[in-house]
Amino acid sequence: MNHYYQISIRTLAALCVASTISLSFQGTGFAEDDKKTTANTPSGVEPVAQPLIPVVKNATPVKLEVFPSDILLSNLRDRQSIVAQMVYSNGITVDVTDLVKSQIGSGAIVKQEGSTFHPVADGETTVKFSIENFNIELPVKVANAASNPPLSFTNDVMPVFSKSGCNAGSCHGAARGKDGFRLSLYGFDPKGDYHRLTREMLGRRVDLAVPQDCLLINKAVGAVPHSGGELFKPGTEYYNTLLNWLEAGASFDEGKVQKVVGIELYPKNAVLNGPDSKQRLTVRAKYEDGSDRDVTSLAYFSTNNDNSALVSQDGWVTAKNRGEAFVMCRFDTHTVGTDVIVLPKDVEFTWKDIPENNYIDQRINEKLRNLRIQPSELCSDVEFIRRASLDICGIVPTPERVNQFVADAAPDKRAKYIDEMLARKEFVEMWVMKWSELLQIRSTRQVSYKATLLYYDWLKSKIANNVPVNQMVRELLGSQGGTFTVPATNYYQNEQDNLKVAENVAQVFLGMRIQCAQCHNHPFDRWTMDDYYGFVAFFSQVARKASEDPREQIVFNRGSGETKNPVTGQNMKPKFLGGIEPETKSKDRRAVVADWIASADNPYFAKNLSNIVWAHFLGKGIVDEVDDVRVSNPAVNPQLLDELGTKFKEYDYDFKKLVRDICNSRTYQLSTKTNVTNESDLTNFSHASLRRIRAEVLLDVISQITETKNKFRGLPLGSRAVQIADGNTTDYFLTTFGRAKRESVCSCEVIMDPSLSQALHLLNGSTVNTKIKQGKLIERLVAEKKTHDQILDEIYQRCFSRLPTEKERTAIQQEISTQENKTQALEDILWALLNSREFVFNH
Amino acid sequence: MKCRDHMLSRRNLLTIGAVGGIGLTLTDFFRLKTAQADQKNYETKEGTAKSVIYIFLPGGMAQQESFDPKPFAPLEYRGPMRSIATKLTGVRINEMFKQTANIADKLTIVRSMTHGEAAHERGVHNMHTGYRPSPALTFPSMGSVVSHEFGPRNNLPPYVLIPNQTNPYQGTGYLSSSFAGFSIGADPAAGGFKVRDLELPAGVDTARFDKRRKLLDVVNGHFREKEKSDSLDSLDTFYNRAYSLISSQKAREAFDIEKEDPKLRDRYGRNTAGARMLLARRLVESGVRFVTMTYGGWDHHDSIDRNMKRQVPAFDQAYATLISDLESRGLLDSTLVVVASEFGRTPKINQTSGRDHWPKVFSSLMAGGGIKKGQVYGKSNATASEPEEDALGVQDWATTIYKCLGITADKELMAPGARPIEIVDGGKVREGLLA
Repeated sequence: MNHYYQISIRTLAALCVASTISLSFQGTGFAEDDKKTTANTPSGVEPVAQPLIPVVKNATPVKLEVFPSDILLSNLRDRQSIVAQMVYSNGITVDVTDLVKSQIGSGAIVKQEGSTFHPVADGETTVKFSIENFNIELPVKVANAASNPPLSFTNDVMPVFSKSGCNAGSCHGAARGKDGFRLSLYGFDPKGDYHRLTREMLGRRVDLAVPQDCLLINKAVGAVPHSGGELFKPGTEYYNTLLNWLEAGASFDEGKVQKVVGIELYPKNAVLNGPDSKQRLTVRAKYEDGSDRDVTSLAYFSTNNDNSALVSQDGWVTAKNRGEAFVMCRFDTHTVGTDVIVLPKDVEFTWKDIPENNYIDQRINEKLRNLRIQPSELCSDVEFIRRASLDICGIVPTPERVNQFVADAAPDKRAKYIDEMLARKEFVEMWVMKWSELLQIRSTRQVSYKATLLYYDWLKSKIANNVPVNQMVRELLGSQGGTFTVPATNYYQNEQDNLKVAENVAQVFLGMRIQCAQCHNHPFDRWTMDDYYGFVAFFSQVARKASEDPREQIVFNRGSGETKNPVTGQNMKPKFLGGIEPETKSKDRRAVVADWIASADNPYFAKNLSNIVWAHFLGKGIVDEVDDVRVSNPAVNPQLLDELGTKFKEYDYDFKKLVRDICNSRTYQLSTKTNVTNESDLTNFSHASLRRIRAEVLLDVISQITETKNKFRGLPLGSRAVQIADGNTTDYFLTTFGRAKRESVCSCEVIMDPSLSQALHLLNGSTVNTKIKQGKLIERLVAEKKTHDQILDEIYQRCFSRLPTEKERTAIQQEISTQENKTQALEDILWALLNSREFVFNH
Repeated sequence: MKCRDHMLSRRNLLTIGAVGGIGLTLTDFFRLKTAQADQKNYETKEGTAKSVIYIFLPGGMAQQESFDPKPFAPLEYRGPMRSIATKLTGVRINEMFKQTANIADKLTIVRSMTHGEAAHERGVHNMHTGYRPSPALTFPSMGSVVSHEFGPRNNLPPYVLIPNQTNPYQGTGYLSSSFAGFSIGADPAAGGFKVRDLELPAGVDTARFDKRRKLLDVVNGHFREKEKSDSLDSLDTFYNRAYSLISSQKAREAFDIEKEDPKLRDRYGRNTAGARMLLARRLVESGVRFVTMTYGGWDHHDSIDRNMKRQVPAFDQAYATLISDLESRGLLDSTLVVVASEFGRTPKINQTSGRDHWPKVFSSLMAGGGIKKGQVYGKSNATASEPEEDALGVQDWATTIYKCLGITADKELMAPGARPIEIVDGGKVREGLLA
């Protein structure tokens, strides 16, 4: 289980630094040349000199953008800060917030201080922003300009705790609190927090008589010893919020508390020109009554790559090394992010046009152009045929087929070969294996061996008959009956804890790990405990009972049973993740949720499955890991992921068609050879990557090449490792090379890292040595009177698909000539080929 | 270019200065980036501990029922078990650790370990890496860091796991997978135990193996010129390790527990704890630098009394033998033996006569390799619920272990993206633990 709420020590340190030097960030948002024009400009007064658009080398300014797109102010305290961004012809963006000239339509309605707007009186007007000949006009609406509503505990005070880190997991948000005081982690329990703050240790934490001298204030400003140190100084916005709330009587919110329905982070993206470039952010929260609020000072900022982009707690992004970062902000239970690309300053780059085979290449290349990366060349025919055979079918092509393919002059021969592979039964077996991992098909104490085999056969028949995946998932999740008669019910048998069932469903079919929200709101994703238990409620009525056969169980829908949120004690209505509360009365709740998951409207399902397919062929998901979709782990190419998902739906969930698209893309067929621009790219699919062949396939191709057979439990002699039905089958080779045990649904079960044990096993172990002897391949070829050269060609092609180079041929021939036992020498060459790097990797 | 950002560290300054100032090409930029000279660097050379045996007790062993009994606490805190006196005056430990009590004068008993992670995997992460888990980065285990800093000795892998890698935090983290530990792959207590694939297969003598290697080099040459990747380099590393292991009889024999005197095997105990500790000793004696072994399951939410009585005796016998055996071989002063668990257990006995997770205070043992002999380090409060003196956090604990090994934990290793990361972030050496 992964917990993402922990803030690293570094982040905390950064927070402290940022809060103490926040003033120094003002007016440093762009290259130093521009600083002079505004550094001495008093706030709100138009600069005397005509502002100039910053110059970006080899590019022209093309567009001015100002965020947010409107200014809505709804009470005396309300305000809105804006961000202006200049977009250049080469995609670079520059923060021009302090350079744009603003013209307020009516100063009687709104006034400006720095880049922030404050209400003056009710009404509507506009603000026009301009720089040289670029202009943008934003509508402004002010209402209740005179009203000063009381501070809300939930919406004003608690955000101060979140921003200052008081309710973080390392501080008072820990399960048992810290130093005797507990707050709910990231504020998932406002009532409880209010109670602990005001009712525990009466009169100490809050003191209404002398509010500025109570523990809450004194601890926060560090006036008394506090493990968390000084969080802010007297007189700051945070201090004033707490103090004003105390002075107003420290009451809990009366009546309905306006819920935050979403937050917006601006700008939506940034392409920064060189280290030290800066971009300011602004965050706006939307409430359920339609109002909004500038929460830039209350949002907690973080970055997923502080090597490329740093973000300070007052919302300034600073570029560092070349790369991509996802800069996020969290407010309330919401987290959103913005893409930041950092390029070396004024990097020179000319895109060379290359053919695009389909939509995949278009999306990939759009992104690469932005990153100033030129993809690799196409791989050779020999590389392609080996790669595609291994990926699609888990086999290596025969030397005859390779020669035929290379000799084929047809321009569409690669597409034809892909179709040939897709028509083979090995393609089906490969995906039955992948699905067996996702569905954890393995015999356990709860699932008998017989039930396991039946479950596997059920899955195999679905995939072999090309049953649309959404239909299969519906059947699986809604299944009831005996685990022998209706094998799909084993899904509820090998995991009997309903919480885990719900978590597994979310992880496998939606790609999300919601485990965190079992105990607290997920801090870096949108999931709250209500969401979690609302989703679990779909599985709260699954029941199991014994059958006549002790090896069989019966899974059925009890029709009763509820799930409680342990914090509120309330029964949770079944609610789709990020969706509605459907009507489930007198229905099997599982069928309702299965319909939702498998429906075309589900925002996750199709994308998630496409991503799993993608990762199989490219070695890495567009969201990586494939089962860790969350706001803070964004897709590296969301447009591509969207389009794959859309296509998958269009194809009626026939993933064979999706595989065809992927394999036919130029992106899949790229060479591993890199160029200057893409040699450090590991995430954007600009070149093929070396992928170690997975355990089952490796054993199968060793057997295929040596013409030997394997025996696995429950399968006939000569079956392939890919066909193993029971995850509980043991085999030293497979275990050593990292086969998934199917003990969890996690994609991390398949291990691809090399190890000393693997090296020892290939060198000395029974697999390679015994198989060479058993298969008698060399003996047969020698008996057929083939020359050493011919034999060398044959085994080279069997293993690598290619022929030996002249250099290799010479060196090896020389080695053979020194040995008396030629057969043994040739066997040793085969041994070397099977031990080689070129063999164990797909490339 | 002047830098105005106070948050930038010196290493960024250098990079920015270099690139912005001279206008290097992109290739140069990357070359520079990988060759950053401002990484915090310290020389690593063997310290007092030439090797480490890390005995990890998964599940979270209760401090009260092991090395920090509270005989004077009320029953619900004290628990159902008794305590016994040890060789250290006034120091009592749980009644089941009889032999350990007899060698207490050779140990440092730490009673003030503390961290904040009450979930198994997070606690395990702490106790193998010296770091709290981070969403952004996976950290290398201490064994992998040692492997990175020293490399192999006497043809043996530097880092060995007995019997297997049991959790991901024993792995290489952001370091290359070539620093991964070697898993024995079988329980040394099992009958006919043998580490697989160490011997050349039948029909292949050294001469033929050498020829095979030569051929393999020829075959690999082409690919090596063409491709580069981290996993390719790791594979090369492991093949080289395998060659040295295969070609050294002495190294291979380190794994052969049958070569040990049967009487000594009896003294260790012919069970899981005994066989694993004996094998660990053979390995460090032969040159392995870091052995991580696990024993038992200590997640005693129920019936703590019964569970301790079941698991402790074998541990107690093996551990006491290990310490005396190392000492009699003159190896104790150069071998650091650490016993730890991911956390401790709740101050009060729960409704099922067990105790639940408690990371605020727990106990561990350290001995040899430069650790002080015969002391209790740190103190918990009267109910074993908080550290009272010398609270020992994970960072300081790990930093002190690294210190004994001769590694300065403030040294930065390179994570992907040219990102230098301290081996331990902000830890201090606890002189009080050292001899």
